[in-house]
Amino acid sequence: MAGATHVLPRAWPRTTAWRRRGFRRAVTFYLLISPWLLGFVLLGAVPLAGAFVMSFTNYDGLNLDYVRFVGTDNYARAFGDSDAQYALGRTLLLMAVVVPVGLALQLALALMVNQPIRFSNVFRTIFYLPYVIPVVAAVWIWKIFVDPTGGLVNAAAGAVFPEANWRLLVEYPTAVLAVLTIWGAAGGGMVVFLAGLQGIPAEYREAAMIDGASRAQVTRYITLPLLTPVIFFNLVTGIIVALQILVQPMLLSPGILGLNPGTVPPRDNYLYAVHAYIEIFTKQLFGYGSALLWLLFAVVLGLTLLLFKTSRRWVFYGVEP
Amino acid sequence: MSVAVRRRSLAPAEMGLRYGPVVLAAAVFALPIFWLLVTSLKRQSEYASSLLPSALEWANYALAVELANFVHFATNSLILSTTYAVLAVFVSALVGYGFARHRAPGHSKLFVLVIATWMVPNLVLFVPQFVLFARLGLTDTYWPWILWGLSGSPFAIFLFRQFFATFPRELDDAAEVDGAGPLRIFLQIYLPNAGPAIAASAIFMFLWVWGDWLYPALLLRQDNATLAVRMANAYVDPHGNPLQTVTMAGVVLYVLPLIVFFAFAQRYIVRGIVTTGIKG
Repeated sequence: MAGATHVLPRAWPRTTAWRRRGFRRAVTFYLLISPWLLGFVLLGAVPLAGAFVMSFTNYDGLNLDYVRFVGTDNYARAFGDSDAQYALGRTLLLMAVVVPVGLALQLALALMVNQPIRFSNVFRTIFYLPYVIPVVAAVWIWKIFVDPTGGLVNAAAGAVFPEANWRLLVEYPTAVLAVLTIWGAAGGGMVVFLAGLQGIPAEYREAAMIDGASRAQVTRYITLPLLTPVIFFNLVTGIIVALQILVQPMLLSPGILGLNPGTVPPRDNYLYAVHAYIEIFTKQLFGYGSALLWLLFAVVLGLTLLLFKTSRRWVFYGVEP
Repeated sequence: MSVAVRRRSLAPAEMGLRYGPVVLAAAVFALPIFWLLVTSLKRQSEYASSLLPSALEWANYALAVELANFVHFATNSLILSTTYAVLAVFVSALVGYGFARHRAPGHSKLFVLVIATWMVPNLVLFVPQFVLFARLGLTDTYWPWILWGLSGSPFAIFLFRQFFATFPRELDDAAEVDGAGPLRIFLQIYLPNAGPAIAASAIFMFLWVWGDWLYPALLLRQDNATLAVRMANAYVDPHGNPLQTVTMAGVVLYVLPLIVFFAFAQRYIVRGIVTTGIKG
């Protein structure tokens, strides 16, 4: 400290002026971002730290008097919790269906509406629409669509098989959930793919065409490799979202009377986030539920890092147009 | 090989190949929404028995508004969504401008942090926030959304940073020579020229609150909750039997503002995504 003040005099005028300017700049920057920084600390970092501590306690969400540390009990319990294991399995299964199928569909839709076709704006809007529809409405739409008495699916099935009385929400709830999820997410992914497609210079494709490549070859050898960064982005976000699916299975109960928070979905749709939600908000096990959520975070993080590792092999960042 | 020649020689087979899949996909995508509209216009007595309505039952819409205190909940949704969107967009633009145009030690690490908050599962963050809000007595109020709005949204901050980074720096220099401070430069130069980014992020912020069910269901009371919470319950007749047709009319009314809103702003959304340069 003292040393610094002794060094100062030599280059006194320039250094101070420069330092003062640098300092003022830094103050300006921090003032400008202060709303976010404050929010990040108070609504992000502090609660997250609290949640981490909470996961080592028996907190019930109400009374702080009875809180005590239970060490790693919650985590040990999570590993022995057969419901959690079952729910994680269902979640990974759903992810394994929804992510690849969804991704392929999004890419196909983007390629289709990126062609020089008439009414391409109309098509884009139709594909994007489900993405804008709120989850409560989307769940209602599918409940009515597959309803055994008034749904179109059963009416159509009845035309072919007169005996058909498919109770899809009771017998195949995960299939309905998967279709709903893919349908709802398709537009968002499609728009990102479209942005990526429009970022590929037309000259690349034209050059290949002049060299005699067919349209399919151009898509396979020019468009797809250049699109791998976008595929990677949609894959990562798709997985992060799929592992956290919560509201859709909770709302998609087989009954027609809607729901209340606390409704337990059919066993097939008992996903990991649903399990954590029920432990926390229904059973009031905030400590245990927090441990479950940190484990989910670890799975999300692990899968994401794994993807980034493999990305070096197949994501093409070569050409900067 | 000119484009004109190609277009004229488009054979029926090629037409089919180009339009067939896209028309089919559009039909599949639109069918559930079409069924929602059809059901909302049936008589309740026809719900299970007939495929199409014998006459368009517009009275369902009047009933949907009347039976659920619809206007009250729609007003709640509108207030909450607008408040959050306005605050979050303004704050995110300011923070995005800070990240795009000002440097300080820690700058890039903090920006990584903005993006990292995206990856934390929602529920991991929400559960402790819920405890915090409950402790502070902020449940049953709109304060959580105001606080969320005041701290900006990582998505919108990222979008504004990318957008402002394309502005020519000469603008700042000229304004600085004229004696304008950073806040004035932001308010008078950057914000007025950020139309597309404002539109895109405002739509997403508004949509998020209007469409969210979980947070209002957990944080608010039955009577000051949003339309999403109300719409999760079916409409019933006095005997407690579900009125599917009226419920669907209510769902249409719940979704309609978003679709109208979106139809006007569609091009901004695409442009907003292009400017973020997700492409990598």
